[in-house]
Amino acid sequence: MSNLKSYYLVGRNTWDETVSYRLNFMVWRLRVVLQLLTTYFLWFTILPSGKYFAGYNQSMMLTYILGTAILSAFILSTRTSSVAEDITQGTLSNYLIRPLNYFWYYFSRDLGDKAMNIVFSIGEISVIVLFFHPPFYIQTNIIYLVVFFISLIFAIVLNFFFNMILSFIGFWSNEVWAPRFIFYILLTFFAGGLFPLDILPRPLFIFFQLLPFPYLLYTPMKLYLGTLNINQSFLSLLIGGLWTIGTWIIAKHIWRKGLKLYGAEGK
Amino acid sequence: MVQRENSFRKYIIIWWRFTLEATQIAFASRFGAIIFIIGKLLRFVFLFFFVLLLFSKTSSIAGYSLKQMIFIFLTFNIIDTIPQFLWRDVYRFRGQIVNGYFDHTLLKPMSPLFKSLFGGSDIFDLFILILLCIALYFGFQYAGTIYIQNIILYILLIINACLISLAFHIFVLCLGILTTEVDNAIMLYRDLTQMGKFPIDIYKQPLRGILTFVIPVGIMMTFPAKALMGLVSIQGVIISFLIGGVLVLISLRIWRYSLKHYTSASS
Repeated sequence: MSNLKSYYLVGRNTWDETVSYRLNFMVWRLRVVLQLLTTYFLWFTILPSGKYFAGYNQSMMLTYILGTAILSAFILSTRTSSVAEDITQGTLSNYLIRPLNYFWYYFSRDLGDKAMNIVFSIGEISVIVLFFHPPFYIQTNIIYLVVFFISLIFAIVLNFFFNMILSFIGFWSNEVWAPRFIFYILLTFFAGGLFPLDILPRPLFIFFQLLPFPYLLYTPMKLYLGTLNINQSFLSLLIGGLWTIGTWIIAKHIWRKGLKLYGAEGK
Repeated sequence: MVQRENSFRKYIIIWWRFTLEATQIAFASRFGAIIFIIGKLLRFVFLFFFVLLLFSKTSSIAGYSLKQMIFIFLTFNIIDTIPQFLWRDVYRFRGQIVNGYFDHTLLKPMSPLFKSLFGGSDIFDLFILILLCIALYFGFQYAGTIYIQNIILYILLIINACLISLAFHIFVLCLGILTTEVDNAIMLYRDLTQMGKFPIDIYKQPLRGILTFVIPVGIMMTFPAKALMGLVSIQGVIISFLIGGVLVLISLRIWRYSLKHYTSASS
């Protein structure tokens, strides 16, 4: 119980940390809004009212784009990039001697960060809705909502372990930023934030579904919209769940291997 | 006159030395260098693929054909890459203010503005720039007849776009001096200009007006390609050059103001 409280405090500290650099955070959020506006208006222009694009009408597409924007604020925000710094600068030692689980510590930090991002994200989307009156579909089917929430949890955990694995590169190399740069580029296109992946040619789409990226944004959003049938929904959950467990096992394995190599250089 | 020529030569030699040193640092980790170049290429290829994907399902976007869109996209990438290549040190400037290194810059017998802008050109972007110019050359061949006056105007408007970009880079430097809080200012500039990767015509008013005249992303990114296609009026061209000139003058004034208010608080 006291452990749980410690992690809650870690999350709350992250929230407070963000508030202390509020101008910086607001500029960051403004950047997110600009990126969203670019994608939103592109699709708004391509898809005038009454026209279809690869099976999507304007309402469905704009709901998808705005929805993934909210989801990405929640799912993709992370503080785990500093894990690599902890390793390469030797400050990891400070955490290893404390009575806490390093994974849970960073997961709590991530949750604090996500809480702040989601609050701002809802505010921003509300302003966009107020100004541009985009159509927004509210899902009321309880089954779709349940599978959506499960996929959301999978996506958060999957993103966390993915980022931890990327940071663990620090055990072997100081070059930790370059692989993360590639990861973000892949994420931008393959997670489904720019466009729904099912507009891709069929073989490419099937191939992408085998990768972990669609389970971060595309699948949760499609589950929310209820455009997948029950079988497809459960299959998506199953693959997403397997990727989540897979990355968890890989992250734990790399962590153990990395700790054996860790020499606390820099301290 | 002779003195000015000597001074110009001196700065060219200094820039060359800075660039050589920055290149040596960039290639200190060959793994990182290769990953960065691959990442930048992937980002371009994915976005290009996205444009092709859009045109596989629609014949025009905001009235632009595929050919025109490719020109706009290539031009955007060139204008986006030149400042990244030349003025990469701006990305590191805030750090130099915080750790006191800027005091050291002020003591050097050269312009601190020159050092802060040209202190480390990014060789990775030069590779990308060369590839983009080759792609543009093939684009010209594919486009059919293009008038020589349009090509001259195109080149002049690209230079003007670089001047506008220079002004924004100087604004970011000033912000670094006047306030040390904002980490994301240069990335905010990048996101603003990213709104020009598609024709500015896709945005609704008043956003389009703001992006054309207040934050002249349209003038920077869309006007050159439109001029090449003969789609810009003479008034539009004159306004573009006026805005470019005025912004550079204002940025230089603010730079002088910022230097006067530099407190050297960190050292």
